Amino acid sequence: MLSRAFSRGGLMAILVAYTAFAGFPFLWVGTMSLRTTTEIAYNHYGWPSPAHWAKFRTAWIDSAFNTYFANSAAVVIGSVAVITLVGSAAAHCLARYRFPGNRLIYFILFSSIILPPQIVLIAVYQTLVEYNLYDTLWGLGLVYVSLQLPLTIYLLEGFFARIPQDLFDAAKVDGYGDFEIFFRLVLPVGMPAIATTVILNFILLWNEFLFAVVLIADDDLRTLPVGIQRFMGDHFQDIGMIATGVMISVLPVVVVYAFFSEKLIQGMTAGAVK
Amino acid sequence: MKRQVLACAAALCAALLSPVPPPAAAEPTQITMVSNWPDEPAKKAWVSDRVADFNAGNQQCSVKLTFTPKAEIFTQLKATLRTGHAPDIFYMEPDSPEFFDGGYLEPLDAYIEQAGIEDWARPAWTHNGKIYGIPAEAYTVELYYNKNLVKKLGVELPPDFQLTQAQFADLVNRAIKAGIAPVAAGVGDRPYPGAFLTFESLLRKLGIEDYGKLVHGQLSYNDPRVIAVLTWMKGMIDAGAYPRSMSTLKLGEAHFYFYSSPGAVIFPDPSWYTGRAFAKPEDGGQPADFPLGIMQYPAMDNGACPTCKTLAVGGSFSMFSKSPHKECAGAMLRSMATVENGTKWMEMVALQTGIKSDPNKIDSPHADYFKDLNARDKNAKYFFGVPLLYYRGKCAETYSQVMNAAFPEGLIGVKDAADQMDAACLSK
Amino acid sequence: MPQQVGNGSAAWRRLLRPGTGGDTSGASWLVLLLFLGPALLVFGAMTAYPMVRTICDSFFTIDDPDKPIWVGLANYVTLAGDGTFRRAVVNTLIWSVAAPVLDVGVGLLLALCLYAKVPFTRFLRVAWFTPVLLSYVVVAIVWLWLYNYDWGIVNVLFRAIGLGGLASAWLGNPHLALGSLIFIDVWKWAGFNMVVCLAAIHSLPSEVLEAAELDNCGWGGKLRFVIVPMLRPTLLNLYILAFVAKMKVFDLVWIMTQGGPLWSTETVSTYVYKRAFAWNTFDLGYPAAIASVWFGVVIVTVLLLNRLLRSRERVEF
Repeated sequence: MLSRAFSRGGLMAILVAYTAFAGFPFLWVGTMSLRTTTEIAYNHYGWPSPAHWAKFRTAWIDSAFNTYFANSAAVVIGSVAVITLVGSAAAHCLARYRFPGNRLIYFILFSSIILPPQIVLIAVYQTLVEYNLYDTLWGLGLVYVSLQLPLTIYLLEGFFARIPQDLFDAAKVDGYGDFEIFFRLVLPVGMPAIATTVILNFILLWNEFLFAVVLIADDDLRTLPVGIQRFMGDHFQDIGMIATGVMISVLPVVVVYAFFSEKLIQGMTAGAVK
Repeated sequence: MKRQVLACAAALCAALLSPVPPPAAAEPTQITMVSNWPDEPAKKAWVSDRVADFNAGNQQCSVKLTFTPKAEIFTQLKATLRTGHAPDIFYMEPDSPEFFDGGYLEPLDAYIEQAGIEDWARPAWTHNGKIYGIPAEAYTVELYYNKNLVKKLGVELPPDFQLTQAQFADLVNRAIKAGIAPVAAGVGDRPYPGAFLTFESLLRKLGIEDYGKLVHGQLSYNDPRVIAVLTWMKGMIDAGAYPRSMSTLKLGEAHFYFYSSPGAVIFPDPSWYTGRAFAKPEDGGQPADFPLGIMQYPAMDNGACPTCKTLAVGGSFSMFSKSPHKECAGAMLRSMATVENGTKWMEMVALQTGIKSDPNKIDSPHADYFKDLNARDKNAKYFFGVPLLYYRGKCAETYSQVMNAAFPEGLIGVKDAADQMDAACLSK
Repeated sequence: MPQQVGNGSAAWRRLLRPGTGGDTSGASWLVLLLFLGPALLVFGAMTAYPMVRTICDSFFTIDDPDKPIWVGLANYVTLAGDGTFRRAVVNTLIWSVAAPVLDVGVGLLLALCLYAKVPFTRFLRVAWFTPVLLSYVVVAIVWLWLYNYDWGIVNVLFRAIGLGGLASAWLGNPHLALGSLIFIDVWKWAGFNMVVCLAAIHSLPSEVLEAAELDNCGWGGKLRFVIVPMLRPTLLNLYILAFVAKMKVFDLVWIMTQGGPLWSTETVSTYVYKRAFAWNTFDLGYPAAIASVWFGVVIVTVLLLNRLLRSRERVEF
């Protein structure tokens, strides 16, 4: 009994400690986003009083965050949509169809996941220029798709291959064709995996920095991470403003996660009650 | 194997033969210009004014100006120049010779008035007798200090504002004992600030000719004079002269470290110090009543040249050699390089410039500062260029990692540093 | 439908040779094309072609893009003697092998904690996941402040509890810098592993867990003999994902230390970037050689992983 309570208490202590560890930096940036730099320099860890909500407005308008935000949203949402569709189609094909070269393609895709993107940065840049896609959001979106596609295919292929054969047999008996099987069987059943890849891709691409810096030169087309970096450069010592900018850039990702994670957990826990 | 060779050849042929698309320009008369200094209000204002004046006074051309942090400028240039898409005018520094070597800079002799450039600044940008950049920013390497703190430590500077080697080390020790940070320096985002104290001392010890040999890789770092200076530096470093946060402190933050919080006694910095320091305090500038002083770098024992000083050209503007709008770009650059604008630069930024200026017409709120600066530079013998103007590739990387960062941070010893620098820089 | 856990090799062989769904008499080429075509097109144009181009570049010195100079294997010879490259490889391998163990281990422990029905599960799940959502730019900014020698919370805490001697320049000390960066990486990704592990635990067949309870297994026993073995495929998959990501790490290192101090945090990607963008030269041949060699290393690693995982189970979500 005592050991139970003790281990329970110990568990709680660990939980609190880890929550502080994981959440503190985020919370700290949140508080700093509502204080001015002078206040922060005076006491780095104080609580905002008064809370300067106007700073959010300033950061949003003065620093063209609305433009950066819109650009990021357009590129990332578009890329993730394309990746999800193209990736799941390819994953389904690799998982379920037998044809010569299947494993070879799978192997090549898998090995390209480990490639550091810096290696192909210049060559990718040259390719975009040749096709007149340099300095366009279309070009950047295309690059983003190519960045995340191998990983998505790898993850989805693993899941799709686990879908029990019986479901497919039943569908075939019902007279479903290849595409109907894909859209009405594989996609719904594979929703947890797809949701996971959507979250992962969204997070990684929303925060992608290197290609955005090199492939976009026009200020009106910049994406959010570059905007934050620029913001930092403009306000080299303005910790308060930087924190505000950081908060603005993080919020949409939190929203997307909150929305999709419910679906994800639902899907996963539903799978357990079969 | 054969297929791969053919594929390689095909890819190369495609690369070689594909036409270079023209830079994406919206209208025929609009040219693009990229400048540094997004976080330095005075310089930003000067550049913006020049562009605004030009656009107002010129009907055929209009300039689209963007301010970009320095690292980003160079990253983008390295990518865009390779494929012919660079801005028409861009920020450039003379210690990046690869841009001239690659043929990406256009000679400006046909466009600007030679009389608008200072003679001493010309060599920084002259190759084969032609000039390739407008030296907007020039600087001398200075040693700023906090008058009140020095007085508090009980040290009195001689009338020529130059301490001896021993006196300087004593000042540092007194600061350490009093719990005040002696030297402010930050190498988080630049490859050179940590090395100023060391190399300015080396200049004064070796004199112009031998220091020149050192930075050209013709003098060994194991030369007894060099070792003497390094050993003197090491003494102070080990005592705690440099801040512990130095490795991640950015240059801008180092300014703040010196004049605001926590406050340091001295700050080795080029005279572009004013670009950040003279901004408003709420924008990161120094407090309104900050007791700023300028001292000379300490005289070395048996030093060959105690009055030597480093003079260099910093931020400049160059034209893209493959720009389709050279006339417009040339006109813009011509309008920048005038005596009037040089004077304005000195007024607004409180910094030297390689553009000719009229000292009688300078009407600056920082007259006292200029008086101090000119007094310190009055009898100086100038060595042109910082080490990174001459060091390249692996040598530059070693300079940045060893002399700029590891040595002042106290991570390696004198012999080790000297050997690493020799291995990377000494020509065999 | 119970998940197929720990089945015989027949099931795995079937899985490893797909084609059991859809039309077993061979799919029509049109169908294959429509499913696989777009992906292969994008991959070919944006990944494979640049890689081939890079390998070709490595045999040249390309100061002038219009006039590459053939140098044969000279770049590779220089690379063999390049001390910085060796250092970068060692650092990258340390990172890729050690960090995932911590990542996945911490993730698993957290998932187990949540599974033990502690209060505020939903809140904790979100709170522990927030580091994953932050971009590397943000993480770098924040941790530079946290690691600050004078007022960063790490040193402040050490001084507050009397261990002032442990307060160090975390990113300025060549012995501590790599570990400090790995620490940040674990902080960032543990939450993601936790979510996946949690889902996997939830999808374990409850009968087995109940049986273990009835057998009076303590938590330790349950953990060792039941849960972990059943989670092995998930854990292995997470390890691979983490390994793959760490082999590529760039943003975090570049923004925080640029490979310093004294190359103690230099990774292959930062070195490639330096040679291509920050080396006083426009030459692409040498960085291309580094890239090609690293590509070779990657292939070897993948083959090894493949062999290791020949009998692995598919990922369970």
